[in-house]
Amino acid sequence: MDLMKLSFMLNGEATEIMVDPSDMLVDILRERLLLTGTKKGCGKGECGACTVIMDGAAVNSCMIPAMKAMGTTVQTIEGIGNPNQLHPLQESFMDEGAIQCGFCTPGMIMSAKALLDSTPHPDGAQIKEAIAGNICRCTGYVKIEKAILSASEKLKG
Amino acid sequence: MQTLNIVGKSVRRADALEKATGAAMFSTDLNMPGMLYAKTLRSPHAHARITNIDTAEAEKLPGVKAVATWKNTPRILFNTSATMTFTVPNQEPVLDQYIFDNVVRYVGDEVAAVAAVSERVAEEALKLIKVEYEILPAVFDPLEAMEEGAPDIHPCPAGKNIPGEIIKIPMGDVEKGFAESDVIYESRFTLPIQKQAQMETQAAVAQVSPDGNITVWSTTQTPHPSRMILATAFGVSQSKVRVLNPPYVGGGFGVRIGLSAKAEPIAVALSKLTGKPVKVVYSREEDFIASDTRHAGYVWVKLGAKKDGAFQAMELKGILNGGAYCSFSCETPGVLGAMGLGVYRIPNVSYYGHSVYTNITPAGAMRGFGNPQAMFAIEQAVDDIAAQLGMDPIELRNQNIMRVGDPWILPYPCSSTGLEECMHKAAEEVGWQRRGSMNETGSSILRGIGIGVGTHVSNAWPFCVDYDNAYITVHQDGSVMLATGVPDIGTGTTTTLPQLAAETIGIPLDQVAITFGDTLTTPFDIGSHASRTLYAAGTAVVAAANDVRRQILEYAGDLLKTAPDHLEFANGLIKKRGLRDSECVGSGVCQLNEAQNFITMKDLAYHAHLRNKQFIGVGRITPPNAPPWHAHVAEVEVDTETGMVTVVKVAAAHDVGKAINPMIVEGQIEGGVLMGVGYSISEEIKRDAKGKPLHVSMHKYLLPTAADAPEIKAIIVETHDPTGPFGAKGVGECGMVPTPAAIANAVYDATGIRFTELPLTPERVLKKLQEKK
Repeated sequence: MDLMKLSFMLNGEATEIMVDPSDMLVDILRERLLLTGTKKGCGKGECGACTVIMDGAAVNSCMIPAMKAMGTTVQTIEGIGNPNQLHPLQESFMDEGAIQCGFCTPGMIMSAKALLDSTPHPDGAQIKEAIAGNICRCTGYVKIEKAILSASEKLKG
Repeated sequence: MQTLNIVGKSVRRADALEKATGAAMFSTDLNMPGMLYAKTLRSPHAHARITNIDTAEAEKLPGVKAVATWKNTPRILFNTSATMTFTVPNQEPVLDQYIFDNVVRYVGDEVAAVAAVSERVAEEALKLIKVEYEILPAVFDPLEAMEEGAPDIHPCPAGKNIPGEIIKIPMGDVEKGFAESDVIYESRFTLPIQKQAQMETQAAVAQVSPDGNITVWSTTQTPHPSRMILATAFGVSQSKVRVLNPPYVGGGFGVRIGLSAKAEPIAVALSKLTGKPVKVVYSREEDFIASDTRHAGYVWVKLGAKKDGAFQAMELKGILNGGAYCSFSCETPGVLGAMGLGVYRIPNVSYYGHSVYTNITPAGAMRGFGNPQAMFAIEQAVDDIAAQLGMDPIELRNQNIMRVGDPWILPYPCSSTGLEECMHKAAEEVGWQRRGSMNETGSSILRGIGIGVGTHVSNAWPFCVDYDNAYITVHQDGSVMLATGVPDIGTGTTTTLPQLAAETIGIPLDQVAITFGDTLTTPFDIGSHASRTLYAAGTAVVAAANDVRRQILEYAGDLLKTAPDHLEFANGLIKKRGLRDSECVGSGVCQLNEAQNFITMKDLAYHAHLRNKQFIGVGRITPPNAPPWHAHVAEVEVDTETGMVTVVKVAAAHDVGKAINPMIVEGQIEGGVLMGVGYSISEEIKRDAKGKPLHVSMHKYLLPTAADAPEIKAIIVETHDPTGPFGAKGVGECGMVPTPAAIANAVYDATGIRFTELPLTPERVLKKLQEKK
């Protein structure tokens, strides 16, 4: 199939890359742009490990044809903080023990970030709803929910 | 008591920063120059002979580099599980798998694999492989598979389709015990197939060098045993094989104790054929249909007690569905029996159990390893006896639970127990006194509270060979490198083992680095499973750390002209006993010719280095074993109109001996509880009449989400076991063990109906509610 040029803002940088129109965004991020922080757990939009933020909304990047990202703004786990300046969610996930195997963590943090970006002070039910599409098999979600709550309190500052 | 600076503290995980920023590397993330991608052709039939396989068209497809089948891969029998490397003498490991065979034994069994320049091309090539099958009769239920007319799946000396040996554990005289009982409960329980559903699917990258050295990066929970299996399967010496994690593994829960299903051998076989690195990543559906599950099956229990509540006899029987290949099917029924008989002090007990081959996905190790199956049955029997006697279920349990020093069927003593405290704390957390009085007249929602208790192991012995090694090397600046062969599959090994080392030696935690999960850089260890990593590998780490500490104190003793046992060593400072830290200033190697009262670890290591000496500690141990204990109290709601069971809360109190890192321990308990809730109310793989599994995606399988999760309260009880490192015992699997029983007993409290089959789906519950009307 003919390659097409995809242009979008990725983690704050204007990005251009030739893609096959049948490629999914997750594969472009992971295999071509080598941003492997975004994980692939099912390829069917059922586990949330591949969650990225596109134009402000948390989406399963395994369900987004790459060309659908044309002209959008995409954030991945690599784009929300760095070791010297972590996002409050990254801090809280570390401090509250919300990370075990770590495979769901990037997607979970991105879903939580989309929530806090639009609803800075969510209640417990809103937190559960925001991460209901992100499967974690290690934690029972207890410390993840606590970490999101704690990050929202930090944001109140 | 010893003052602890690092052990017992909820320090932040060592891997947290990498995992929170997306930098952590997993097998599925690996990418190498020239790397090929593999895809596997799987059997559509439950049992068939391959009469012809033609790969010519597939090989012609541009981008295809090799096709592997039973014809061009080694024909050496192995077992994908680590059992083939650590089955205890005088038992023989069952070896019943080839990389590819000319007989397929379940829907999903491996037929061929393609290596190509992309996954897409590899998938296209699979469609071009022509396979002719002669369909063979298939059987799916273990009881039917034992019948005379059933197809033989593998040759079995112990009995029709029975892998390994039949396990019989007798103690006392059960017939006499039942004759002397005033009340008896007896029933058969039916258990479903549960899937680990770890977040990272099975994966491996293999690279075979021109001189035949094999390197495998994979998701295994046991790098060293995996190296042994691969060396056998490919007929090479272990010294030519390196297995390592990349270094992180996206969960395990038992699914890769040994190989990651067949990801490693398929990758190696294709790398040998192509001379290129080859990556195998199972799709989620492949992970569901073609990697080990929990054993489904049947458990029978018969329990007898006197009027005063004293248990007299228990008879336990387990027949488990082993699926198409043995995996851990010899050990699982043994653990089911041993743990089932280990909780209560009963003078007369007996157990009979084994697995049975059938034509379904192989069953292997999964968190709890037979124990949840046993306790689902036993804890409901105990509850029923309490109801028959009109006793409080906690009082009845308290009267009968095992105490320190009681005789039991295990070859190690019951060295500690906090079960009584666990029961009381969990009961208090949920409000046990409300039990039996929560239903409101006329409401369609019934409410109840129930309890389940249990024990488990802290390592694999006596069910498997179990020993551990660790090295600690002191660098020239006094920081250290700990080497241990266990991986970190998410359980926090790379944090808690350094905590043990730092505390034992007497240095700050940030002075300890760790190399792990790599056969090249670490000594042999049987890996991360059996709730053993902290207890067993930790015992070796403490031994190595004590060895280093002893060497350092001897050296410092000469230097400070003081007997080593008159020195103190903590926080990286060695000083004469009684000296305050504030007096220890101005140290330096330049001053060492003068009379001195103290020296820092940093200066001491450099001083030794300038005199041609390095400190290297070695820990080589065979760990004992110790019982962790746990009590879960669950509160449920049952909707009588829909049959829906909602778990409102689970309080899980665990005697872990000593929590080395309480935050990590709580995480283990909480995750285990939710996995147990899923097992209780939703998770199940069913199959159609031809053996094709139906629930092979996360949605179809009904994996619990945050929205489904009940309130979970983890409660830590510490009894300081005399055998464990700093008193610690196992915890990893324990959250699973009593959860289904606690929920089923709560549903009984709500409805008065005893459910003997898991999961408690709306269909099953509604059917029974209607029958009761």
